[in-house]
Amino acid sequence: MAEILVVAEHRKQSLADVSLEMLTKGRHLADQVSAELLAVVIGKDVNRYGPRLAQWADKVLAVKNDQLEDSQAEPYQKTLAPIIKERKPKLVLIGHSSFGMDLAPALAVDVGAPLATDCTNIAIDNGTITVTRAIYNGKVNALYSFAPSETLIVTGRPGEFLVEEGQKGGSIEEIEYLLDEEFDYKRFEGYIEPEVSEVDITKAEVLIAVGRGIKDKGNIELAEELASALGGVLACSRPVVDYGWLPSGHQVGLSGKTVKPKLYLALGISGAFQHMVGLRGSNMIVAINKDAKAPIFADADYGIVDDILKVIPILTQRINDLKS
Amino acid sequence: MHTVVAIKQVPDTSEAVDVVEIDTSGKDIKKEALVPKINDWDEYALEEAVQWKQKLGGTVTAVTVGPSEWDDILRRALAMGADMAIRIDEDAAAMDCYTVAKILTALISRLPYNLIMFGAQSEDFGSGQLGCMVAEMLGIPHATLVVSLHVGEGEVRVSRELEGGGLELYTLRLPALLTIQTGINRPRYVSFASIKKAREKELKVTSLSELGLSNEALTPMVRLEKLELTPTGKKAELISGSAEESATKLAMILKDSGVI
Ligand SMILES: Cc1cc2nc3c(=O)[nH]c(=O)nc-3n(C[C@H](O)[C@H](O)[C@H](O)COP(=O)(O)OP(=O)(O)OC[C@H]3O[C@@H](n4cnc5c(N)ncnc54)[C@H](O)[C@@H]3O)c2cc1C
Ligand SMILES: Nc1ncnc2c1ncn2[C@@H]1O[C@H](COP(=O)(O)O)[C@@H](O)[C@H]1O
Repeated sequence: MAEILVVAEHRKQSLADVSLEMLTKGRHLADQVSAELLAVVIGKDVNRYGPRLAQWADKVLAVKNDQLEDSQAEPYQKTLAPIIKERKPKLVLIGHSSFGMDLAPALAVDVGAPLATDCTNIAIDNGTITVTRAIYNGKVNALYSFAPSETLIVTGRPGEFLVEEGQKGGSIEEIEYLLDEEFDYKRFEGYIEPEVSEVDITKAEVLIAVGRGIKDKGNIELAEELASALGGVLACSRPVVDYGWLPSGHQVGLSGKTVKPKLYLALGISGAFQHMVGLRGSNMIVAINKDAKAPIFADADYGIVDDILKVIPILTQRINDLKS
Repeated sequence: MHTVVAIKQVPDTSEAVDVVEIDTSGKDIKKEALVPKINDWDEYALEEAVQWKQKLGGTVTAVTVGPSEWDDILRRALAMGADMAIRIDEDAAAMDCYTVAKILTALISRLPYNLIMFGAQSEDFGSGQLGCMVAEMLGIPHATLVVSLHVGEGEVRVSRELEGGGLELYTLRLPALLTIQTGINRPRYVSFASIKKAREKELKVTSLSELGLSNEALTPMVRLEKLELTPTGKKAELISGSAEESATKLAMILKDSGVI
């Protein structure tokens, strides 16, 4: 029977959300084409994850490796490659996370399989697999097919596939890690936790978020005035931190903070998924952007298509008027 | 120390207001109205390579697979401080990642290198694959999404970015390949004058046949079938009018919703 294989990622005693998303998608696809869903997890305490993965998987391969605390690309690649070569799963699903980005391309070359990364949809039609990817700043959707191959590797965009609790209760097979490789060419040395910042944007009820569209450090002041009129806190997209316009504690998104304010007012932010995953919990999203085709308008409740440098000062004034 | 940096040119679609359209082939967008630029991530990679050259000596070579218009970004790389630039004259936009990776591997394996840097991903297609693929093809260690690095004796220490802003630390044996994340440095300003001056430096153009690659060896593994414009503006209720009017309306909406 054909197989679909999901690579499970874990760090600090918990499974990555994106792995559960891949398991959910994998379950749907496996049911659709009557394939078996296999989940592979590697690490020191794999038994901890087995039952959870078995909720979706027909079978969990729990590879016990006392050297490996959390998911890392090299041990995963060296373990997965022989499994893939032997079992020839039709499809391998991996989350497009930091770990997935470090693993999937090398694994694909290693096993000689076609690879599509950061996919927003995966479909099987008459046995043929196609994927959708969002390209050109999210303005275009691209549909891809693959050259004939026994196995395809696909990484899925985090937050794109909703998790549905699985009811499968598959079997768990624990296997000993058989590689004697030490990976001395790439030694793991530890973690650095994110810096604790003065402002805690995760607790703010009103966030005024600026993006690259603010154009200049000097213009941040405009947003600050608006924030103080609204009793809110400044947040930002990544480029604003990269350019040194605001400290990293203000960054919302995949590599920043996850926020859930009552109001998220996005000024000159395009709406890249790495930003949007950080604000899904917002009550109301308002976007001001001069480009009507900016993807952020697809997620916002209200939008103004205009120049933020023009709108912000007027808005600040109107709000101050309304308050007095 | 010899560093090779892979760079590419992209059409700027982030600022492009209303000009992203699909061309008649249905497989690409119209590029005429779009301003070409160096891929954001690659500019950080170049800056990092040049800064380490200034500390340790050696050379920086910028490489690209692209048409002659991409000479612009190579000149920019030379102006930033690269010593040499090499372009493989092929239309990379029509290739899959595997193919570009094979071509870059063939080129880089003929160059002296201790460190190779790629951008973490491209702005246009955003695959984030190439660096990691090339490392595997060359058989050298890699780390993706690198936000800081330190080159030591025969090794490089890096931190790579995880979700939520935490970092993972690794030490890699050289030669190694790193993919560079934005924010790792502040890329230097490049003036027109310095780009002009960089014309004195060598910009080499080479071909697949010179690299011993045949077209057949480069059959794509992933095929683009079709493009569609993403439907946007569907959900947001757009507030119309002049800046005055829309700001006033928004203020009222915020008041009604209890935010003010
Ligand atoms: C691994 C990884 C992790 C990442 N993590 C994050 C993260 O945590 N957070 C994050 O934000 N990004 C993150 N990114 C980056 C992300 O992919 C985008 O590059 C980024 O979010 C873009 O920021 P932006 O919207 O401010 O800039 P752009 O995409 O450049 O958008 C600027 C917008 O401003 C508009 N604009 C310009 N001028 C004006 C004006 N005068 N008036 C009105 N509008 C104007 C433009 O139309 C455009 O839509 C990550 C990327 C990677 C690869
Ligand atoms: N045509 C190309 N020529 C040289 N380098 C490239 C090319 N395309 C991509 N790259 C490099 O690969 C990185 C990641 O690209 P991608 O995997 O396409 O997202 C870029 O940041 C560049 O460093």
